[in-house]
Amino acid sequence: MAQLLDLAVSALLLGGLYATMAYGLGLIYGVLRVVNLAHGGVIMTGAYLGWVLHERLGIDPYLGLPIVAVVCFALGVVLYRGVCARLPRGAAGGAPSLLLLFGVWLVLRNIAYLVFTGNDRVIRTSYSTESLPFLGTFLSINRLAVLGISLLVPIALHLLFSRSLLGKAMRAVAQDADSCTLVGVDVERIYSLTFGIGTALGGIAGLLSATLFAFGPAFGAGELLKSFVVVVLGGLGSVGGTFVAALILALVEVFSILLLPAYLTPAVGFVLLVVVLVLRPGGLWGQRVLG
Amino acid sequence: MRSRPFEAWALLAAGVLGLAVLLLAPNVLDRYILNLLTLTLLMMSNALAWNWMGGFAGQVSFGHAAMFGVGGFVAARLSLLTGLPAPITWLVGGLAGGAFALIAHPTLRLRGPYFSIATIGIGEASRLVFTYWEAFSGGASGVSLPLVAGGKEALYYWALGFALLVGAASVRIRRSMFGLQLLAIRDDVEAAADAGVNATLLQDAMLCCSGAVVGITGGLYASYFSFIEPNDMFGFDRSISFVLMGVIGGLGSVLGPALGALIFVLSSQLLLASYPELYLGLYGVLLILIILFEPLGLTGLGRRLLRTLRRAQAARARGART
Repeated sequence: MAQLLDLAVSALLLGGLYATMAYGLGLIYGVLRVVNLAHGGVIMTGAYLGWVLHERLGIDPYLGLPIVAVVCFALGVVLYRGVCARLPRGAAGGAPSLLLLFGVWLVLRNIAYLVFTGNDRVIRTSYSTESLPFLGTFLSINRLAVLGISLLVPIALHLLFSRSLLGKAMRAVAQDADSCTLVGVDVERIYSLTFGIGTALGGIAGLLSATLFAFGPAFGAGELLKSFVVVVLGGLGSVGGTFVAALILALVEVFSILLLPAYLTPAVGFVLLVVVLVLRPGGLWGQRVLG
Repeated sequence: MRSRPFEAWALLAAGVLGLAVLLLAPNVLDRYILNLLTLTLLMMSNALAWNWMGGFAGQVSFGHAAMFGVGGFVAARLSLLTGLPAPITWLVGGLAGGAFALIAHPTLRLRGPYFSIATIGIGEASRLVFTYWEAFSGGASGVSLPLVAGGKEALYYWALGFALLVGAASVRIRRSMFGLQLLAIRDDVEAAADAGVNATLLQDAMLCCSGAVVGITGGLYASYFSFIEPNDMFGFDRSISFVLMGVIGGLGSVLGPALGALIFVLSSQLLLASYPELYLGLYGVLLILIILFEPLGLTGLGRRLLRTLRRAQAARARGART
């Protein structure tokens, strides 16, 4: 029983983390129709930024979170302006954009390798090992904090989309960019802001993962796949749908540990993707994400 | 138009000359260069086969190393277990690679980004599975193979013959109805489907062929180096190398990827030797630059050069007349 509870809590926590990663990928896809293959690299960048802030400057990872978000936002805007916006029009959805962003990922990985070497890192705080008693089991304080933040992210996104003008403009551009130009929305600006926000979400997810797992320059490949699974599963329709999809992926992964050897866990997400594509190609809620 | 016959003759002469040089190469070249040349020939076959999917059908695979690895390990195990002649084991490895490619069938009904990300997943998953499946792959310590009759020289000729075969197949596919249908899928799946093209079936067929070619080269590679290990065969770097060879040579061009393979193998030898810590990033930068400025890679550059030359020629001709 205690083990089941433990696994359920782990799943909830991982689910929150996966949702945060997936929002970044899904947002950029939803508005720009570009699958950001550099997303894994962005997550890795967020992890290293958090690590530098903590190890070198002594800033607690949770205080460093806004800094990481802002830096990653800037990185996203630069990436969009410098690279993606230069893609020939019409090539945005196809192979060229995939290859381009894949190239960006390789560059990010190499930079991380040059600066931080290939050694595995982890953010270890003074409270990393502390935990609270809860219903006969113990919950790690750090994990609770990660969960708390990953619950705040969807709330913030929901507010952004429903209340702010920027959010409304983003939704409008996602529906019909041409009409937006007609009513005076600066579509290019919305694109670059969206790319920035998506990248910031990736960075936040990276920082949160870094407090839980060891990472290196190659970190992020599995995370890209997981984000993608969640986006396909949950569709782009709602913030809540993505969260539920992330929870499902996390539950399947966590409970697969009971049945499968640990080294196969990374393949679970992929198998889930295949199963979903075969059984419900339109995602759980029937909205087809990609053409 | 006027100069076409001359150009065709020049091309033919260059081809014959090149082939003669390649046939004589083992007698002239030293071991190191011959190694490089064989590797290049193998990678040419891979790049061309990758381009069938990535260029013709427009489905970019980031996981072709999976088929390369499966082919290599199946061939290796087969020759260790049964002692069959090497070419048969390569063929079986190729069949295994082709069959393995079809595992991806469910995701292949979907195209574009779905396909690409799924291939990253397949590549990673197969690397993990084969690394941990020590009974088959020897784990991190790999598998050593018996030497092939005729030694490295014979393998060089096999690699040369196979590369020529794959090159001829590329030309054939590109000119066939099948090739046209693939291009139609790449440009607009829905329009292609309306015109009666069965996109799923064609893509499956192409991926299977592409996987089979890559599987065979996996077997050849294993025999040539007489040692393979999963992290090299299935590595992410290897999948990336196929992508790069295709993109450098010219995504979707018929024979460009072969040139891309040549450039890639030579440059990676130089880069790996002098800047091992930089090469991934350099390839990333290269990828970005090519996609932004010359999406057709070397083929595009060549065409541009040819156009400029023609224009200069025409201008001279006009100048002479007046």
